[in-house]
Amino acid sequence: MPDFKTLGQSLPRVDATQKVTGRATYAADVYLPQMLMCKLLTSTVGHARVVKLDTSRALALPGVRAVITGHDFPDVLFGSGALRDRRIMARDEVFYIGDPVAAVAADDEVTAQEAIELIQVEYELLESVIDPLDAIEEGSPAVHRDMPNFEGYGFAMGGNNCTLLDADRGDVDQAFRDADHIFEENYRSQPINQGFLEPMACAANVEPDGRLTVWASTQGPFQVRAQLASVLDIPISRIKVNAMELGGGFGAKLRLAFEAFPAMLAMKTGRSVKLVNTREEAFTLNGPRLETNIHLKTGVMNDGTIVARESHSVFDVGAYLGAGPNSGVAHALGPYSIPNIRLRSYGVYTNKIYVGSYRASGVADMTFAVESHMDSMAHRLDLDPMEFRLKNVMSEGDTSVSGARLPANGLRETVEAVKQRLGLPKKLGENRGVGIAMGEWRSGSGPSTASINVNEDGTVSLLTGSVDISGSDTSLAQIAAETLGLDLGQVIVSTRDTDMTPFTGPSGGSRIVYSQGKAVQQAAEDARDKLVSLAAQRLGVPADALACRDGKVYVQDNPAQSMTLSQLARASLTSQQGPIIGLASLSSMPYAPVFNTQAAEVLVDTETGQVKVTRFVQAQDVGVAINPMSVVGQLEGGAVQGIGRALSEEMQIDPETGRVMNPSLATYLMPLAVDMPEIETILINVPSESGPFGARAVAEPPGFGPPAAIANAIYDAVGVRINELPFTAERVLAAIQGKNSLDRTMDVDSLKRREG
Amino acid sequence: MAATMKTPLVLNLNGESRTALVQPYYSLLDALRDEFQLTGSKKGCDEGDCGACTVLMDGRAVTSCLVLAHSAKDSEITTVEGLAGVSPAGPGELHPVQQAFVEHGGLQCGFCTPGLIMSAVGLLNQNPNPDAEDAVYAIGGNLCRCTGYNKVIEAILAAAETMRSKAG
Repeated sequence: MPDFKTLGQSLPRVDATQKVTGRATYAADVYLPQMLMCKLLTSTVGHARVVKLDTSRALALPGVRAVITGHDFPDVLFGSGALRDRRIMARDEVFYIGDPVAAVAADDEVTAQEAIELIQVEYELLESVIDPLDAIEEGSPAVHRDMPNFEGYGFAMGGNNCTLLDADRGDVDQAFRDADHIFEENYRSQPINQGFLEPMACAANVEPDGRLTVWASTQGPFQVRAQLASVLDIPISRIKVNAMELGGGFGAKLRLAFEAFPAMLAMKTGRSVKLVNTREEAFTLNGPRLETNIHLKTGVMNDGTIVARESHSVFDVGAYLGAGPNSGVAHALGPYSIPNIRLRSYGVYTNKIYVGSYRASGVADMTFAVESHMDSMAHRLDLDPMEFRLKNVMSEGDTSVSGARLPANGLRETVEAVKQRLGLPKKLGENRGVGIAMGEWRSGSGPSTASINVNEDGTVSLLTGSVDISGSDTSLAQIAAETLGLDLGQVIVSTRDTDMTPFTGPSGGSRIVYSQGKAVQQAAEDARDKLVSLAAQRLGVPADALACRDGKVYVQDNPAQSMTLSQLARASLTSQQGPIIGLASLSSMPYAPVFNTQAAEVLVDTETGQVKVTRFVQAQDVGVAINPMSVVGQLEGGAVQGIGRALSEEMQIDPETGRVMNPSLATYLMPLAVDMPEIETILINVPSESGPFGARAVAEPPGFGPPAAIANAIYDAVGVRINELPFTAERVLAAIQGKNSLDRTMDVDSLKRREG
Repeated sequence: MAATMKTPLVLNLNGESRTALVQPYYSLLDALRDEFQLTGSKKGCDEGDCGACTVLMDGRAVTSCLVLAHSAKDSEITTVEGLAGVSPAGPGELHPVQQAFVEHGGLQCGFCTPGLIMSAVGLLNQNPNPDAEDAVYAIGGNLCRCTGYNKVIEAILAAAETMRSKAG
């Protein structure tokens, strides 16, 4: 590794002190003068026409300042996916239990809640559909009868199928005829919540000049600004979004959520208004993930070579289209090279809470299916599961589903590292087992900008528009510091206000360090070039004789001949070129894949069905770790989320009404410290060709593998294959007793017939 | 809600006597945040499940959302804002637990962090020699979604070590 100054060091986060002292300001911590509190009224029925909505009693309550309904908003449809399929607040029809119907602003929260209860709504029930496998059938009640008219509606089967993605390669039918073995399996993942600790909150105020200021809990301030402008039908320039400290998002806070309600109420009252979700609302109003049903069919030769894959994935998107269906195609192969493919992925509307994003939406679901399927095939072929994988993994130069060429990567090194650490293959004792899973992700791309100015004392101020959700401010500061030869403490990072910072895409898809980091590196290089150029003039030496390090620009052959950054910054103020600012702007980054291998050892209690993870090991190719402590922290946290997904987490949804039945942290079971094994994390360093200093994305992949690794470990321990998440004691016990809980699977023949 | 009147609450808060007008139904958490302007204690659930609102009440860790504000009037309350000031390291400096969380990466988004820190301080008040299992159980009521807990446990054990060496 090159001789780095700050890069590669486990430096404390730049925001650590304010967080440990309780001084970090989250959206709910915003208290403004004369502030009103907002509460929401939401639909109590899954699908209905609103025939009466009377707010007069609420408005008459002392302390109530305004009540709004869908008719207070412009007649605008917007969307969080490819379709414009939703209103910010219901007008004449509600589509799920939780659909916002009215909002109140009052002097305090209790009064606002009392007013909500005084609003009278009458619904005329419409036919609803809850199960996605019902919803995708022909003749099922339509969630959105207007679907064909939605802007963005294109390739789909109609009915409740709102989007259909596909990928084809080679001759699948012939490959299946030629295959020595064909394996077909069904899998189902469960509805799941992102589990961010900070419930969504937002404050809004109308400034004296008429502009709207919003304090938001968001991963994407510029996305909130654009969507807010759209639903309020006002210009973007009339809105300023302050992205506050973010108390966890994991994808849930990528888009417009409830900001429009306090915003509209602030516009109505002329007062500041704050909305803070309850924990129940974090489960029932804010887009989680819903179930995915996956059918895989694979053709394999006797020697273990996979020759064909057909997949059908049905993503329940709830009432409005969101992320997920793309993964049904992009991740249907896993990290394997398969020549003949037919992949189909369907987004299906149901009368349930709409889906949001969660740590690479849909990829964990697909990885659960694909990597369980790999293990299942290996056992039936009597091959070692790891060797079977290694026989089929992609190699440099292979073509991904999207058609991109696979660049150099550390895929095989991750497998080897896990194999060595655990001493695989091995057989553990009675009711104990070990299982592995592999994962793949592309490093996130998208618009990225950075600006760096050099201060007169020789420090630099870095301005970015990206919200810190992963320690990224620290990593970005390290990239700037390294490029300019400074210490971390000499870089001041400022982010997050849409007036002040340059446009950038949202903090999601593991794109910040990889893409935004590249912009920071280029901006720092730009500033460095300008510093060097000015020094060259002043010192009377050619620019290429100079180096910039340790707060100085100096002649490499004679370091005593130098100018400090402070001297240069002050000199620049009166120089011909003016004050030094480094700028960079980029829109997309090359394909830089990230691979990981994860393994779990489990102990299964065959009397109760309880599964305990006794050891967990993971290896990931991170390229170059900008801040190893931060990278390991992301990988540990991601793995624990994946273990929660595997063992305990499930949003239970009433099959009759679509109501979320366990909207609390006492009933939705996220991992606690007492539940977790120590996570052993191994970093593999195969530098990417494109990332800053060779870095790759980090945060998404660790959540992918745990469900399959644990499923495979359970199989190794007690010989049962569980095709449905999560692996609760009840489900595992039933499986041990010979009952597979996956009692309903999709009708693949019917889907194929309709495709024609 | 004209019927419910705020009444004065005198609280022994972070070593000072503080007074505010507080609704009779307010939790200690709501009083701290809304009336005493101490927003370091976080409301993650308001039903005692997440631990983000943990404060010390007479030295013991409690979830402040489950304590009625007026019932705390005879207790000594320490919030995360009061830690740095009462540190053995001296006023203004970070408490060893805070310092250890910083150095060991025991925090990410930071929302659960004040609660985790207060649970850890509560543990170390009672048991200066915790092992990993003691630390795990001390934060058994604190949910953290970001870190996966490994680095939190590391930080608590490191803080215990620092405090022992300072005391010794």
